[in-house]
Amino acid sequence: MSDKRIIKKRYIFMASVLTGLALLLVLLPEKHTSKELKPEQLLQEINDNTRYVSTDEVAEKLIYGDAYLQLIDIRSFDDFRKFHLKGAINIPLDSILNKDEKGNYEYEDILNQDVKTNVFYSNGTVYANQAWILLRRLNFKSNYVMKGGLNRWIETVIQPQRPLPTASQEEFYLYNFRRAASMFFGGGSVSSVAAEDNTPAPIIKKKGGKKEEEGGC
Amino acid sequence: MGPLFTASDEWSFVIALVIGIAFGYILESAGFSSSRKLAGVFYGYDFVVLQVFFTAAITAAVGLLFFEYFGWIDLSAIWVNRFYTGSAILGGAIMGFGFVIGGFCPGTSACASAIGKIDGMLFLGGFIIGVVIFDAFYPLYDKFYKAGNQGPIKIYESLGMNREVFLLLFVLFAIFAFVATAYIQQRVSQKSKKY
Repeated sequence: MSDKRIIKKRYIFMASVLTGLALLLVLLPEKHTSKELKPEQLLQEINDNTRYVSTDEVAEKLIYGDAYLQLIDIRSFDDFRKFHLKGAINIPLDSILNKDEKGNYEYEDILNQDVKTNVFYSNGTVYANQAWILLRRLNFKSNYVMKGGLNRWIETVIQPQRPLPTASQEEFYLYNFRRAASMFFGGGSVSSVAAEDNTPAPIIKKKGGKKEEEGGC
Repeated sequence: MGPLFTASDEWSFVIALVIGIAFGYILESAGFSSSRKLAGVFYGYDFVVLQVFFTAAITAAVGLLFFEYFGWIDLSAIWVNRFYTGSAILGGAIMGFGFVIGGFCPGTSACASAIGKIDGMLFLGGFIIGVVIFDAFYPLYDKFYKAGNQGPIKIYESLGMNREVFLLLFVLFAIFAFVATAYIQQRVSQKSKKY
């Protein structure tokens, strides 16, 4: 019995077309297909404020030792060395998009994953927001911004202001939490905050592993 | 371009209904509402199930990769189920047994029921009872169900292969399966004619 009687001609034709197309896909030059977020979606995400994490939330996670929290200080290495929050790593804003020799983002393993919650901070909110926007544009996930940055951290967690006697009970609860947090972090002044983390700065494993984190924003 | 609709879109149920009707129509047109035809793949007298699903898989795969190449679709936006090793193996075995015993798979039993086949309705009823039992006792096997979670992994990723090369090999394998099953089918039908 010959092949022709078992396999109809049209099937042979279809099989040839599909094989040819599959072969063509292998031979076609690799095309860079952009995985970047669409501008409309980015705009929508910028307008909703779900990226923000309050200093109180960060303080609470630090106090309870939340293993999924990853604080990322995006200030310069010098600023980071002088003072940083407990457990923070340093990825300066100007090197956040550094690429290795293969053209991959050096910090992608940290900045684009779905295990840890990255929270960026700088002195205020602006630079952390810039870092977040750059990374969201690349469709990197699990990144958030500590609203108000270190300035807000000092105002709320380290040196909380006593609410007015007429304030609501919630405000007093929050004040009590902040006072407790202030004591936990060594409270009272910036220098004491800086002193609270005497452990050496964590070393970041980069893909390339050659360049040191340096520069500032 | 694409996805035209997302899961949260209010139109998603309407789209699902339209796609479901189209899918059912094609199943019925291909003769998949007949349990004899479906079970034929296990006895060697009819491999149309294997041939249709292989054709659908390779046509869709080649088409999707070209769509992505031309920038018409964003493949990363397509939902891929998570792969749980243990439950996939056990579920596959149960599905296989159900298929060979009942002569239907869930979709084709719905298709057969729709055209009034009693065996299809019985199969569908059993399928629904199975779902209810699974749901009722779910916490018992929760650990096993979720064990070995490998995420939305794809075969070429687990093999560490290039996606396009894997597709080419898959197309060649499908064609080989076509030819091999055609031979088997012919041999079996010749044998049955003798008796």
